[in-house]
Amino acid sequence: MTVKLTSPAAVAAALAAMLAPAAQAADYAQAPGSTLAFASRYDGELFTGRFSDFATRLSFDPARPEAGRLDVTIALASAATGNADRDSTLRTADFFDVSRFAQARYTASGFRRLADGQYAADGTLELRGVRKPVTLTFQWSGGAQPVLSGKAVVRRLDFGVGGGDWADTGTIPDEVNISTRVLLKPL
Amino acid sequence: MSLRNTAERWGGVSQLLHWTIAVLILSIGAIGLVMGELPRTPKYFWVYTLHKSLGITVLALVLARIGWRLYAGAPAPVPGTPRWQARLAATVHVALYALALAMPLSGWLYDSASGLRPFRWFGLAEVPKLSAPDEALAGTAHGVHEWLFWLLLALVAAHAGAALYHHLFRRDATLARMLPRGWLSPSPDEDSR
Repeated sequence: MTVKLTSPAAVAAALAAMLAPAAQAADYAQAPGSTLAFASRYDGELFTGRFSDFATRLSFDPARPEAGRLDVTIALASAATGNADRDSTLRTADFFDVSRFAQARYTASGFRRLADGQYAADGTLELRGVRKPVTLTFQWSGGAQPVLSGKAVVRRLDFGVGGGDWADTGTIPDEVNISTRVLLKPL
Repeated sequence: MSLRNTAERWGGVSQLLHWTIAVLILSIGAIGLVMGELPRTPKYFWVYTLHKSLGITVLALVLARIGWRLYAGAPAPVPGTPRWQARLAATVHVALYALALAMPLSGWLYDSASGLRPFRWFGLAEVPKLSAPDEALAGTAHGVHEWLFWLLLALVAAHAGAALYHHLFRRDATLARMLPRGWLSPSPDEDSR
């Protein structure tokens, strides 16, 4: 039995073919099982909620984070906090005002690599008709079906969420913690 | 006025507890019926806190009242009461005690399982939660709280109606002996004598 040795040129070509796609920005869409959650307090009592309906499009190459792009749309009426009274209150004009602003949108282009190996997206959140900068910090799992695990802090009063009688930050803090885990599938 | 209950009359402690609890239950019921119609904003949350605080107060007073009754006893049925009426009255009394405990307990459980905000008794003392936030449990507790309310209302009406029947038609001491001596003559006729 003879072993046919592959020529160095062929090896180089094969390696280049393998590496080339990885060196380009890959496009991803959100896969089922993804979560987008928020946490706040009322009078000190912690509560968490989830948006069951949101959609993510991502273009990302860990080697070139500056070329990354992220676009998330969130159906605000899908917010569920484990209490029907609170959920219906969140849909009113005092909070998300879903009859006027059904969706929130977060867009970012150009990510930064952080010293700890995470990435940061200095994006823009459009919520309740207000556009303000919000930074999303995320970890990237890599692999064929990568997972983006991110955190952000949103100042609710910047967007008029919980105005009027609810504006007292001693009762509901201004800063709302957002965490997300997006399972991604290549496009 | 005797503080202890005698064979003929309720004593001062039982009377005070009876009427305090009666007024509280009626007030709490009225607040409970209207508070759901209020705008759901922090401006009106004190009404809910008042409803809950009065309810916990009733819970404590009913426990005290049952304890006092076990210690001090209860008057016998007024002479001439048919056996079936005495039994029915005793059954309603037990049910009223049970409901006066079950109402605050189911409300407390509903509040706990809702997990909306801390509950401080009259804003003074934090009341512990009976459960972690649990949407299904909150729904069940709320349903029980509501149904027991209508049952309690029916029993209170029967209880008060029976007391008035005794006073106005039987002209016996059933109602008068739950009031301080002299407030109410056992028989309305005696007032004019």
